[in-house]
Amino acid sequence: MHMKKKHLLLVLTFAVAPQSYAQTPETEVLDTLSTVEEDLLSDDSNFTFTESQLGENDDMTSDVIQINSNSNVYLNQIGWAWSGGMWFKYRALDNAYNDIYVNGVQVNNPENGRFTYSTIGGINDAVRNKDDVGAFEDNSYSFSGMGGSTNYNLRASRMAAGHKITLSGANRNYTLRGIYSFGTGLSKEGWAFFGTVGYRWANMHTANVKGTFYNSLSYFLAVEKVINDKHSLNLATWGNPTERATAGASTDEANWLANDYLYNPYWGYQGGKMRASRVVNNYEPSVLATWDFKINDEMKLVTSAFFKLAKYKTTKLNYNGTNPHPDYWKRFPSYNYNVWGNEEDKNYDSDAFWTSYENWQDESYRQINFDELYFANTQLNKIGADAIYWIEARHNDHLMTNLSSSYEWKFRPGVKWTVGMQLLSNRGSHYQTMDDLLGGQYFHNTNTYLVGDYSQTATEAMYDVNHGYQRIVEGDRFRYDYDIWNQDIKLWTCFSMDKDIQHNFITARVGGRRMWREGFMRNGLFQDNSFGKSGKAHFMDGGLKMGSTLNLGNGHAVTAGVGYELKAPTASVAFMCPEMNNDFVQDLRNEKVVTAEVGYAISNRWLRLNLTGYYYYTHDGNEWQQYYNDDINSFSYNSLTGVKKEHYGVELGARVRITGDLDLVALGTYSEAKYIDNTNVTWMSSTTGELNQEVCHNKDMRASGTPLAAASLGLNYRFKRWYLNLTGNYYDRIYLSYSTNMRYEQNMKNAGRYHSGEFDVPEQAKGNGGFMFNASIGRQFQVAHHPLSVNLQLCNLTNRRNITTGGYEQSRSNYSVTETENSGTESTTKPRTYNFEKNPKKFYTQGFNFMLNLNYRF
Amino acid sequence: MKTKSFIIALVAGAFALTSCQDKDWGVPENIITQPPYGNNSLVAGTTTTIAELQNKYSNAISNDSYKQITDDLWLRCVVTGNDYGGNIYKQISVQDETGGIIIGINGSDQGAFMPVGQKLLISLKDLCIGGYGNQAQIGGVYNGGLGRMELSTWKQHVRLVTDGTDEAVGFGTMKVDTIDFDATKTMAQQSGRVVRLSGVTISGEGTQILAPDDGSVGLTSNCANRTISGGNAGSKCVLRTSTYADFKGIALPKEPVDLYGVATIYRGTWQILARTQSDLTWVK
Repeated sequence: MHMKKKHLLLVLTFAVAPQSYAQTPETEVLDTLSTVEEDLLSDDSNFTFTESQLGENDDMTSDVIQINSNSNVYLNQIGWAWSGGMWFKYRALDNAYNDIYVNGVQVNNPENGRFTYSTIGGINDAVRNKDDVGAFEDNSYSFSGMGGSTNYNLRASRMAAGHKITLSGANRNYTLRGIYSFGTGLSKEGWAFFGTVGYRWANMHTANVKGTFYNSLSYFLAVEKVINDKHSLNLATWGNPTERATAGASTDEANWLANDYLYNPYWGYQGGKMRASRVVNNYEPSVLATWDFKINDEMKLVTSAFFKLAKYKTTKLNYNGTNPHPDYWKRFPSYNYNVWGNEEDKNYDSDAFWTSYENWQDESYRQINFDELYFANTQLNKIGADAIYWIEARHNDHLMTNLSSSYEWKFRPGVKWTVGMQLLSNRGSHYQTMDDLLGGQYFHNTNTYLVGDYSQTATEAMYDVNHGYQRIVEGDRFRYDYDIWNQDIKLWTCFSMDKDIQHNFITARVGGRRMWREGFMRNGLFQDNSFGKSGKAHFMDGGLKMGSTLNLGNGHAVTAGVGYELKAPTASVAFMCPEMNNDFVQDLRNEKVVTAEVGYAISNRWLRLNLTGYYYYTHDGNEWQQYYNDDINSFSYNSLTGVKKEHYGVELGARVRITGDLDLVALGTYSEAKYIDNTNVTWMSSTTGELNQEVCHNKDMRASGTPLAAASLGLNYRFKRWYLNLTGNYYDRIYLSYSTNMRYEQNMKNAGRYHSGEFDVPEQAKGNGGFMFNASIGRQFQVAHHPLSVNLQLCNLTNRRNITTGGYEQSRSNYSVTETENSGTESTTKPRTYNFEKNPKKFYTQGFNFMLNLNYRF
Repeated sequence: MKTKSFIIALVAGAFALTSCQDKDWGVPENIITQPPYGNNSLVAGTTTTIAELQNKYSNAISNDSYKQITDDLWLRCVVTGNDYGGNIYKQISVQDETGGIIIGINGSDQGAFMPVGQKLLISLKDLCIGGYGNQAQIGGVYNGGLGRMELSTWKQHVRLVTDGTDEAVGFGTMKVDTIDFDATKTMAQQSGRVVRLSGVTISGEGTQILAPDDGSVGLTSNCANRTISGGNAGSKCVLRTSTYADFKGIALPKEPVDLYGVATIYRGTWQILARTQSDLTWVK
């Protein structure tokens, strides 16, 4: 009878949840997840959902922030709710504003400020203990980042004791996963050991996106010795050698022709077998040593040393001729017919249009034809010519050493002072190698963009004058080879105090950074400033932040915080053209950041609620891009300086206990994240080496790759050892990464977008939002007196395939620019039938997908 | 004990599974004997020669019109010029022992698939033949006139013949020698062939750029025509170089030189198309 009542209530609640929760009886204090739910979800909370999507692609916009906070329902829940198939960036911030620490050492990539979550993928059991804070929460390890901070506790004594086996099956980026973990807990002798090893796998037939695969081993080992009451030492090492094939974004036309929202142009057939052209190999073995010194009951000192040797390699099919990629714009039907209805520009080539359409129906046409590429190269071997197609590998390796120490003094109850230091040295090695000549004999290390203006063997066209007209074979370095050195020192402090109804904190940091480049090739266009060391650039930065929480009683609280920061530019934006020379960007400055946040919180027996408003203003920001620029028929390197942006919005998180077994979670955010002024650009052409000034009309361009509006309603039901979750999400205002090139003043003039002194700036491309429903069901069993948890996650239940996760506008033009024949100086623009502006490349959500997860502890 | 064995097996299994998926790929089998370009199922029927074609369609060629070939005719020929050097655009030149002709194909990088010396078997039926500036050309219809054929059409009509295969036997001892340019020869006798000009002077001698795009030389269709005189050049002969050619930036010689190229004709003027930098013998 009791059970029937609960089921009836469950049904009613699903039907009228928004109306019913306020009338349900209060049962107990609502604080944390129930044991069953925690056990079932802990292994597969936001981490598992997102681990194969987070930060794995250096060149994509999926740099999601994995945020959490136990004191804020919104922060606590969004990782779970908005990661199943979507990319969601907290406050639409770049991942670089989210600071990640391990035992107090910051481990963000020093060159771009980002943290690659995939480097801790597959070691879920080792990274479960963590301290997450929002942007305006004080903590004992950092001056928290704009996007919050996380400190993973990797001490062996804090890991769960016993054995645990996890087996998973999914139809996502990987198909199978197995993890084994073992921990001793802290022995009487003061020793603790923890180890975990995992493997994630999918091949090209089983991965959700055709033509990709996933092959990742992961391990983590930690040993801790508690020497006495005051001292303990911990040594941890981990890594996850991973090999995986990546997928590319596509235009809607390509997806339509392929009848697949996940159409992936990066693979093809070779000898009848599937082959990926873009394969990432990544291995970042890390070692962390930590000394905990408990000086007395009030004082402690945590000191850590971190060492990492990162090897990252990603391959790409390249060419010296016509683009062999199947989604090359000239292969589309719309290359021959203006499908956008501008009759004036119509240049309908009916035969070519239909031939192209028919071709696209054949999978061998819409994927890479490796056999043909091999054949071309073997033909060229006959005449002793360079390979025309090849697979090259870009390497971004790092040798990183970081020391940190933090001292905490609780000098009276409720009053705490911490001070810390971070020292960092990083050498980033960036070079390109010839991965596969695809049957060709060799290739010359020549800037082919310059051949014509200079002869093939001219000094100017050589990428490395020191080696002359150099033949490149597989394994050789070519095109560029340089190191970026980055050295940082950072001091920070935080003072917090509880007084009456207040909790106040003030935190500050000051830092110094120096960086330089060392080139190992003497570029023919920059013979005097490409080989050897550059000058050193020095920056000083710092920040101040304070916040307060007022406890108004009866579970009501108000929070507020303000901050001001100077952020030194990272090496990734500091060099004008690091692949070619040593020059720094001109007019490089610290980014200035103003932050503010106010919040209201309720916490009582049946409701936890957080309502937060925030405002971030940044100026003097720096950005850097490289791409092929149609208007100059060359590759270009573009530095944007003096970038001004605003991020602001409201966030709501509420967890309502309806009954003791049932609660409802409501989340919502509406935000804005945009440039608030046009930006000055300095760009350089790869064929002239000259610097040019421009203005990019990027005012009002929005942050991309995330919904700027999202809402969620979820129900969690616990019954005995069962757990059920049903969540409905809505996403909207999803923008695609805007093209700077399309909004340069000269280019807009070329495009006929300049009238009577006014620029007609193109609207930023948008993606589709929509509803998505996810569910999770789990149960805990006892097998041989040990707990076995079974959990099935079902994502995108309605199989919505047309929701855009991200993408970008193409940096190509709707016209070609050529010298006006016989004019010498004037240029002529000629409209193209193909409309790049109407053809942004997009990523879409996976359709219905699942993960079945089994955990057995013994 | 069982637990330990299980764990050891699990860990060992994990390591064993992690073999590389992106293996070392070798050259695919059979791409030499069964090229993944063109139509390998073509088998020659009634063959014809370039001279016979030019003779049969001489009216269309001389009128700058075109005819669709309706007979089931087959042509064996050898590639003598292509876009490898960037000077010839979406065309190849082919020769047999009787003459040379231009084939227009709407595709780039064809020189990589059909390098100089490649034997071709072409099914001519349904292709078009005619003239452009009185130059004989095989192609397709574009805007009501003779233009390039679509690449997919070409691939259906051509077979790349590899030595040692049955189809190579039909080529016998076909030779496509370079001939000395002779200004007095007719289009049919000389055009489409690789020719040698000896002791000739090129206008603009001594300037630094063969095909500049800075307005210093008049261009037609992005090409600089520099008059060739002296030697065996005759009176109406130009060196035609595209501003997209890989060798457009070379300096012109001050002294008389030898050079090679594909001879084409445009309304009575011989246009010599160098194929690569090595055709211009003064460039070291």
